[in-house]
Amino acid sequence: MMNPYSDSLNLARRRFLMNSSCSVASFALAAMMEKEGLLASETNLTNPLAPKDSHFPGTAKNCIFIFLAGGPSQIDLYDPKPKLQELNGQPLPKELTDKVRFAFINKETATLSGSSRKFTRYGECGTEFSDVLPKIGSCADDIALIRSMHTEQFNHHPAQLMMNTGVGRFGRPSVGSWLNYGLGSQSNNLPGYVVLTAGRGASGGASLWSSGSLPSTYAGVLFRNKGEPVLNLNNPPGINSEIQKSGLEAIKQLNQEHLTKTGDAEIASRIASYELAFQMQSSAPELIDLSSETKETQEAYGVNRKGDSKKGKRGGGSGTEGAFGRNCLLARRLVERGVRFINLYHASWDHHSGLDAGISRNAGIVDQPVAALLKDLKQRGLLDSTLVVMAGEFGRTPLGENRTGSKAVTGRDHHPGAFSLWMAGGGVKGGQVIGKTTELGWSVEEDPVHINDFHATLLHLFGLNHLKLAQKFGGLDIRLTNVGGKVVDKLIA
Amino acid sequence: MNHNFLRTISWLFFLFSLIINPSYVFAKDAKADSAKIDFEKQIKPLFQAKCYSCHGREMQEGGFRLDLKSRALEGGDSGLAITPGNSQKSEFYHRIAGTGNGDKMPPEGEGTPLSPEELALVKRWIDQGAKWPESANSKDKLPGSDHWAFQPVKKVTLPQVQNSSWSKNGIDAFILRKLEQEKVQPSAEADRSTLIRRVYLDLTGLPPSIEEWERWTQDTDPNWYETLVDQLLASPHYGERWSRHWLDLARYADSDGFEKDSKRPHAWRWRTWVINALNEDMPFDQFSLEQLAGDLLPKPATSQLVATGFHRNTLINREGGTDPEEDRVKRTIDRTNTLGSVWLGITVECSQCHTHKYDPLTQREYYRLYAFFNSLTEPDIGAPLPEEQATFIKANQIYQKDHQPLVKAIREYEQNQLANALANWEKQNTEKKLIWSVLQPETVDAKQNTTLKILPDRSILAAGENPGRAEIYTITFKTDLQKISGIRLEALTDPSLPKNGPGRSPSGDFELTMLTVKTTSLQDPAATKEIKLQKAQASFEMAGYKVDRVINNSPHAGWSISPQQGKKQSATFEAKEAFGFEKGTLITVSLQQSSTRKLYHNLGRFRLSLTTGSKPLSLNGITDLIVETLNIPQDQRTSDQQQELLEYYRTIDPQLKILKQAELAHRKKAPRNPTETTKAQVVNHLKTPRKTRLLVRGDFLNPADEVKPNTPAILPSLKSKNPNRIDLARWLFDPNNPLTARVTVNRIWSRYFGRGIVSTINDFGTQGEPPSHPELLDWLATQFRDHNWSLKQLHKLIVMSATYRQSSHTRPELAERDPYNIWLSHQNRLRVESEIIRDQALSVSGLIKHKVGGRSVNPPQPEGVASLGYANSVKWPTSKGDDRYRRGLYTFFQRTVPYPMLMTFDSPDSNLSCTRRERSNTPLQALTIWNDPVFFECSQVLGKRIVEETQQKDASLTARINRAFQLCLARQPSQAERTIITQLYEEQIRFLKSDQTAVSELTKSQKIPAGSTPQEVAAWIIIGRVLLNLDEFVTRG
Repeated sequence: MMNPYSDSLNLARRRFLMNSSCSVASFALAAMMEKEGLLASETNLTNPLAPKDSHFPGTAKNCIFIFLAGGPSQIDLYDPKPKLQELNGQPLPKELTDKVRFAFINKETATLSGSSRKFTRYGECGTEFSDVLPKIGSCADDIALIRSMHTEQFNHHPAQLMMNTGVGRFGRPSVGSWLNYGLGSQSNNLPGYVVLTAGRGASGGASLWSSGSLPSTYAGVLFRNKGEPVLNLNNPPGINSEIQKSGLEAIKQLNQEHLTKTGDAEIASRIASYELAFQMQSSAPELIDLSSETKETQEAYGVNRKGDSKKGKRGGGSGTEGAFGRNCLLARRLVERGVRFINLYHASWDHHSGLDAGISRNAGIVDQPVAALLKDLKQRGLLDSTLVVMAGEFGRTPLGENRTGSKAVTGRDHHPGAFSLWMAGGGVKGGQVIGKTTELGWSVEEDPVHINDFHATLLHLFGLNHLKLAQKFGGLDIRLTNVGGKVVDKLIA
Repeated sequence: MNHNFLRTISWLFFLFSLIINPSYVFAKDAKADSAKIDFEKQIKPLFQAKCYSCHGREMQEGGFRLDLKSRALEGGDSGLAITPGNSQKSEFYHRIAGTGNGDKMPPEGEGTPLSPEELALVKRWIDQGAKWPESANSKDKLPGSDHWAFQPVKKVTLPQVQNSSWSKNGIDAFILRKLEQEKVQPSAEADRSTLIRRVYLDLTGLPPSIEEWERWTQDTDPNWYETLVDQLLASPHYGERWSRHWLDLARYADSDGFEKDSKRPHAWRWRTWVINALNEDMPFDQFSLEQLAGDLLPKPATSQLVATGFHRNTLINREGGTDPEEDRVKRTIDRTNTLGSVWLGITVECSQCHTHKYDPLTQREYYRLYAFFNSLTEPDIGAPLPEEQATFIKANQIYQKDHQPLVKAIREYEQNQLANALANWEKQNTEKKLIWSVLQPETVDAKQNTTLKILPDRSILAAGENPGRAEIYTITFKTDLQKISGIRLEALTDPSLPKNGPGRSPSGDFELTMLTVKTTSLQDPAATKEIKLQKAQASFEMAGYKVDRVINNSPHAGWSISPQQGKKQSATFEAKEAFGFEKGTLITVSLQQSSTRKLYHNLGRFRLSLTTGSKPLSLNGITDLIVETLNIPQDQRTSDQQQELLEYYRTIDPQLKILKQAELAHRKKAPRNPTETTKAQVVNHLKTPRKTRLLVRGDFLNPADEVKPNTPAILPSLKSKNPNRIDLARWLFDPNNPLTARVTVNRIWSRYFGRGIVSTINDFGTQGEPPSHPELLDWLATQFRDHNWSLKQLHKLIVMSATYRQSSHTRPELAERDPYNIWLSHQNRLRVESEIIRDQALSVSGLIKHKVGGRSVNPPQPEGVASLGYANSVKWPTSKGDDRYRRGLYTFFQRTVPYPMLMTFDSPDSNLSCTRRERSNTPLQALTIWNDPVFFECSQVLGKRIVEETQQKDASLTARINRAFQLCLARQPSQAERTIITQLYEEQIRFLKSDQTAVSELTKSQKIPAGSTPQEVAAWIIIGRVLLNLDEFVTRG
């Protein structure tokens, strides 16, 4: 994995630290890098995560990306289909399914399956949401709901990679990595990209927050919402803060000795990493300590809720309700502390069977805290600069799943052809619906939005041109939007 | 507006010309039917004018090129374009005429369309056979053919240098010449301690022990360094160290990747092969040949098959809904790309969807490379390690001595007495109670493409295509029986099946995931009933694949019989309620094979029977066919009938039963055959190779025309007309091949200097960087080849050079002239790889446990890491005993939730071939070495060790500081460093005096050396922890 860019980044890091007393040399270096096509503004000489200028002024500064892994059913959450209701139990015209692949559905005998949900209009805009999302519905005027999403990936893991990295294969940087690569981080004592999970793991595991071809500096750092917030954050037993501090001081002095001897500025960079690690040791526990939040806030987010894991087992154990609520609250706290990108994961929405019970449980897990998050951000004046996204990797079929061997039809199969997601804040024009699916929800009829388009728009909100945010890798320009991407103008306020 | 306007105008023009002279067009057309078209004069100028700007030498939109006959006739990325003799079947014609579905050419706004006359001309040219004399080819060479990397490796003579006394070998001449040109002096040799640690870490990945460090620093022999290098290259740790680099390239992991991310319990066997091959210094051409094509070698040895496990390191997606063919295509693509990145140093992957934008590789050429890998099969084979095999053979000899007589007794009884016993039995028991009625199939049907055939003995044989997944057989029968109490499935052998079956997997196994029975009244077709089954039993069940899974409503998990293939196996299922309609019943049995774990595991031959007998059901009860046979006089029975009768009788003969029981009882003493316990993932090949088709836009559902295996035209051609992977592997090492040797030496070079002579290690194409020292690259490539591709000699050549031995102190005066140190005026300091950081911490503390090769291990990792995997399916069974302290390369690599410490220090994710690791520098790394339990344990043991080893001889602070530096950094501390540590020590002692809890926690489970105190040990634990966290500790100086 050759990466000339990171080479020059390392070099820049070395050189700057070497010459920090001699700014002439660093100017010379900047000039040289400019000559090599590396704009000085794109590389910071001290720290790869230091803030960088965007391509043009953007509206969003932070992003909270709520990823519901498994493929949430748009038909039961976001996209009401009266006609589907009407034709419940009828087969779908053959020409519609002819060239379509399914994971489990048997085409010959599959029939349409109406939703058990009721839809209600919310807010001044009147956007319809399902009865399992009443609280998110109450934020409708801030939400831009896209009903015309489509992807080409059809199995979970590739599709999750597609939604998180723009390509359905391993090895590409995820959205959060790109944003940190493009804009740096505003936090001096926390990583720029934080991941929080609740319930059981997603198919994609840690590959979904990998930095791919970018240096691991840009990878998501998994925080835990209880106990030790970051892996290995706590000192081992017996190392108290005095010991830790004097140890750190000795490490610094010894490293400094060696720096003087060898002249290798990478050592200075390591000294800086140790300083940040030390700061994280106090800032991360402070972050997850919710005692400074009012009781009302904690209740609004539902951080102490207990769920009934018998209803919809896929949603996770009985602690998942509280854990997800806590994650939403932590997301706001992370935004306040300048963290650029926060990924909240919840799995699994893969309702091949038991859809009604499963989606009620899962929606119950997310509805209250996500709505609380939107309102809380708004009330604190943070929503204008914080983009909130809620999405899964694909949608589910309007056909019921009649998988071989299963007795009854109680779920839906994977459906990449048409699904929904929503965005709010960060300069998104709320209170609107983008796109339209066909009568039965089978395919997109108006304003199709490909995942690459969605990503292009997301970057645009941050003032980044998706064609320019690129990395030279293996002879190619790697982009979040791969070889596609078109900004969806309607989404922008 | 403008376009439309122009279009209208030209359209009018066209009409106008028809009106003015209609006869002209048609008359000429008719007349010319016979007139032969001159390509050179009539067609080529047309192409030149209208097409070359996008389909010529400079540019080949859609991979289509019209200035070379061969390329024009083979078509572009969407398949064949010209069908000589038939313009109607030529996409090319439809494109220029605008009559097909494709885009009209030339595209609107990018050139004038062909006039009707011109179109007619091209049409006739095609219809006349598209004659194209070779002489009319564009005289230009292939684009990129003058690119440096595609030129043969040059024979280079060593350059003349002024300061010839500096040079240790050829490498230095090239480096020095450049430095002298720039008027720069090379750096002095690194001090001896640095050099010792450097070469230890580079060649073995382990730091020198104190004893080793002392020995080499005190050695007065002028050749001490060469002796050291030779010793390190002979160390088994050399193979461990360098195998890890190869594992990166091979994207090695211990699990499948994707969702369930199933473990690969046999993956390690290939890794052990790599370690051994490197330690034996297997020449690199042989090393490559065995991995790429071991299965095609004549009578391959087990080790040569194990080598092909290289190809098995690809990801596999076993998600429920995955199309196995799609995943197979993905794996084949990955294998093709890996060939490109490991041996050719070209990023071929871009060409899987379209013709390469920058390099002279067409999409068609990509699929020609792909064709070499398109007929692989993926079996697991028994592959015991030689020592395991030897132990087994010995033990087995002893066992067989006692066991053979028992086997012989059975055989003799069967040969000499069984027939008589059967005859007696027939005479004695006139009344034979019928248990099973074998069903005669009415209809057979397979959901996918299996062909099912009914045989005379009422069994059903599967043939033809063997679908990977989700095959369902549906069979109907009629029966008059009532009160049916159960159903039996016999899985039968057949010579047409792999290993005689009874299944169709390469090993003769199957996995039956579900069996359902439906009944319909023959009298009243509306009366149907689904029969509930219970109490499954089988003649044999593979561990974890029990027969009750067939009826327990788990559609993707079933019954398998490995390793008891090659013989008949039966299973019976009780009906919960007896069934059978009064006036006859139509029975529909469906047999599902929808395993998500095993591909191609379909039943090969089978037979179904019903019983009205009492429960529990008998597996072997007498069948109606046997009763029938018994009623036929012996001399009139067919041999099949007699055979089946004998087979049945064998299950009930009392004497045989006794003999068999004795044999079975003794078998428990059999030594375990390591071919069953030690397996390897290997590849084999289809007897009839699969046809390869170009995949339009890389989509497996969109195949175009066929392509044959071949190598890219820009590189020297293959010698064989009908090449296979062996030819491909040999071609890589053909003296004319300009890439393999260069790419390999460059990659190895980069491990020693942090940067390749070509800095784009995986891209020698036109977009890559040119070499900084082209002649050195060629000289090294030639050396490598001329020394029989010996890797050890290449390593020695590099580490013996003065260039390598230079000090790694930076040269501030060159910071602006040579910021990347491309001239190599000094060595580069390099942070060592994640595994080596672990190995060092374990080594300096003394915790490390060495065992070269073997299974992967699960050292402790923080809680809650494994549960991030899919639905808690990933388990991390923490190793016990010595396995907790093995080298990092043996750590089990679970792709979706890899070992966190490895990832924090930039281990590759093992999803794609990785030619160069990142070297990041993050706070998480600090936290890991500070606090990860593994590292803290190392600090504890290290602290105790420092005290213990100095306690007797000299327990002074200075002696201990020296010891600590020697252990951790293989050098003496400076005075300033001693002061810092002394200060730290005194500070800690102060803290600890007032904190007894801290002392006991720090020294927990550490034995305090006699004469020392817990407080003192605790202070040294803290100092040990500081030393492990130094930049110098994680860096090769």
